[in-house]
Amino acid sequence: MKKRGRGIAAAYYGTGYGNGFPDVSRARAEISKDGNIFIYIGATEVGQGAKTIFCQITAEILGVETQDIHFVCEDTSQTPDAGTAAASRQTYNSGNAVKKAAESLSQRLMEQAQNHLQLNSVHGLKLENHWVYLEDFPKKRVHFKELVKEDTLIVEETFTAQTVKMDEETGEGAPYWPYTFCCYGVEVEVDTETGEIHVIHGVCAQDVGKAINPELIEGQIEGGFAMGLGYGLMENIGLSKGEIKHNRFANYLIPTALDVPELEKIIVEDPSSTGPFGAKGIGEPVMIPAAPAILNAIYDAIGIRFYEIPVTPERVLVAIKDAQKEGKE
Amino acid sequence: MKPLQVVGNRVLRVDGKAKVQGAALYPQDINMEGMLYGATLRSDKPHAFITIDLEEAEKIPGVVKILTAKDVTGHNHHGVLFKDHDVLCAEKVRRIGDPMAFVIGTSERIAKEALKKIKVHYQEIPAVFDPLEAMEERAPKIHGESNIIYHYKCRKGNVDEAFKACDIIVERAYQTSMVDHAFLQPEAGIAYMDEDGSVVVLAATQYPHFDQLEVAEALGLPTEKVRIINPAVGGAFGGREDITMQIHLALAAYLTGKPVKVVYGREESFYAHSKRHPIMMKYKTGATKEGKLLAMEVMLVGDTGAYASWAINVMRKAGVHAPGPYEIPNVKVDSYAVYTNNPFCGAMRGFGATQTPIGSEQQMDILARELGIDPIQFRLMNCFRVGSETANGQILHESIPLVQCIEAVKDRMFQELR
Repeated sequence: MKKRGRGIAAAYYGTGYGNGFPDVSRARAEISKDGNIFIYIGATEVGQGAKTIFCQITAEILGVETQDIHFVCEDTSQTPDAGTAAASRQTYNSGNAVKKAAESLSQRLMEQAQNHLQLNSVHGLKLENHWVYLEDFPKKRVHFKELVKEDTLIVEETFTAQTVKMDEETGEGAPYWPYTFCCYGVEVEVDTETGEIHVIHGVCAQDVGKAINPELIEGQIEGGFAMGLGYGLMENIGLSKGEIKHNRFANYLIPTALDVPELEKIIVEDPSSTGPFGAKGIGEPVMIPAAPAILNAIYDAIGIRFYEIPVTPERVLVAIKDAQKEGKE
Repeated sequence: MKPLQVVGNRVLRVDGKAKVQGAALYPQDINMEGMLYGATLRSDKPHAFITIDLEEAEKIPGVVKILTAKDVTGHNHHGVLFKDHDVLCAEKVRRIGDPMAFVIGTSERIAKEALKKIKVHYQEIPAVFDPLEAMEERAPKIHGESNIIYHYKCRKGNVDEAFKACDIIVERAYQTSMVDHAFLQPEAGIAYMDEDGSVVVLAATQYPHFDQLEVAEALGLPTEKVRIINPAVGGAFGGREDITMQIHLALAAYLTGKPVKVVYGREESFYAHSKRHPIMMKYKTGATKEGKLLAMEVMLVGDTGAYASWAINVMRKAGVHAPGPYEIPNVKVDSYAVYTNNPFCGAMRGFGATQTPIGSEQQMDILARELGIDPIQFRLMNCFRVGSETANGQILHESIPLVQCIEAVKDRMFQELR
């Protein structure tokens, strides 16, 4: 028999290294003599979209298009240290460093433009499409190239996150900041004859502070949900006296596209005053509620709680049999 | 303030086209003229003293050099927090998969052939695979005097008194499993010496500047003599934080003067990088009959296997997040990280905070059902809002839209509750 059930789980996640450990990102912004804009930062693109959002942040500040930014993150001899691509910290930490560097570059461009245009101050100057111009008299304008033809403009900025070490006896402190929140709801169908569980529907509401790129966030939700589904229902390295029995994809099962349902993805915005444009990191939080929501939905479907993951078909069948035995006794 | 022009837009990934077209360069795609190939000899015993005999392997034509612990030119160690990994095991192996030797040959086939000819004499010693047993005093020790490497404590209010005031208490134990990141691209890399005498390592990593420090320390070189190039990364999820092949490659290039490449297969990849900490959890949660959470007591034991990697930070994050996103006036959490002879565990997406909701969010459902309150309503009654105080005494002063998240799911999926 196929039985359906629904469940939810809520979660939160504290960004960064935490516990007062210096969590530092550095970024360098340059405009070369031929007017090209560069960002140098040792922040890894692991597939999460870091390159894209850092280019967007820079483009926003300098009034240019995303594709106008030359982004370099791959080489320690060229880039300043921006910490690890982990702890959901790159959007928040390195995003802030990139934003500060871009702002600093913008300020330098305006100062140079003030001199070049013989203005009394930088007030009222705007950057758009590689030009610096005076907003109320746009004829007063100068191209970026004109301002850098003598010397490359280089600025470097640092962002350090704020956390407070916890007391070792009581845990008192402010271990992480900011926190990101989420809630997922799922519907499952349990086949009581085969023990198979299909997740047939998912609704994912994810707090992001402010979405820098909604498409990339939705991609992260899809991937995080799939990884959480695998965690709850399939994945186990099969340890036996220190040996990994499931050491290839023939027996270490991970979800395929067919295992993951269509997801309704809801991006919840509530800006964080310390995030770049209000943004917070979501790389890890997007995974967290999937497995516990599935476990709660399984209970709703068949009235059995699973206290150990993954809930494989074998475990489901054993649990159903045990429940029937108990029922008879 | 003027409206945002670029931030908030669905801009196409700047690295998307190259990846879709197959033009992006992953470490495995990179070849150099005259390069040699590496292969790693790994332990097949979980806990043993070792002696290694290279004589026959070295005789194979095409074997250029076989590196063991004594060839490490700097410190024979690495590790993100504790330097508890040997670059190549000197005396003792602590898990199946520990690297003991690195063969450099003129082809991949020769290097792998030579692995079979290396004779390892294992003098096995008692091993421990269960983290609870590992915590006992008489358990075999993996490193140093104790297997317990971390104990996080959170004490808020008075749980003993508070449980007396609870109308309902739910006590359950939970267990999560050891899992792999299963990123698409197994580890691969190449190292070479550049014109100015620096050693260059090309390998996918999450943190190039930290790898630079680790390689420099192991080779005994100044940091500026080591350069890390991080080509396209085929997934990471925490599994590329610890060193895997980077130091072996750097050392091989440094000692031979030639480019050296290594590619792990999937089976080797499973042993080479960290795993997610399996956590044994004991939860006791109490509430009033009106549905207000009053007290929670949690015990977590995380098995970090043979090496610490990020265990302390992971079990700290697990401990901090163990109560879940709810206001609970009385909380007691104890979270331990423990060495065993299992594969080593480290960073993986969620970093401890993924494991605990397997317990805490089921506790919420069990309590709600026993109280006869809808599980969604029960969460809304207790969840963090602006101004809430966490179990650590941290004030959540802004950007706390959890109610909105829960309401959004309720509206889309549980319309009957509206």
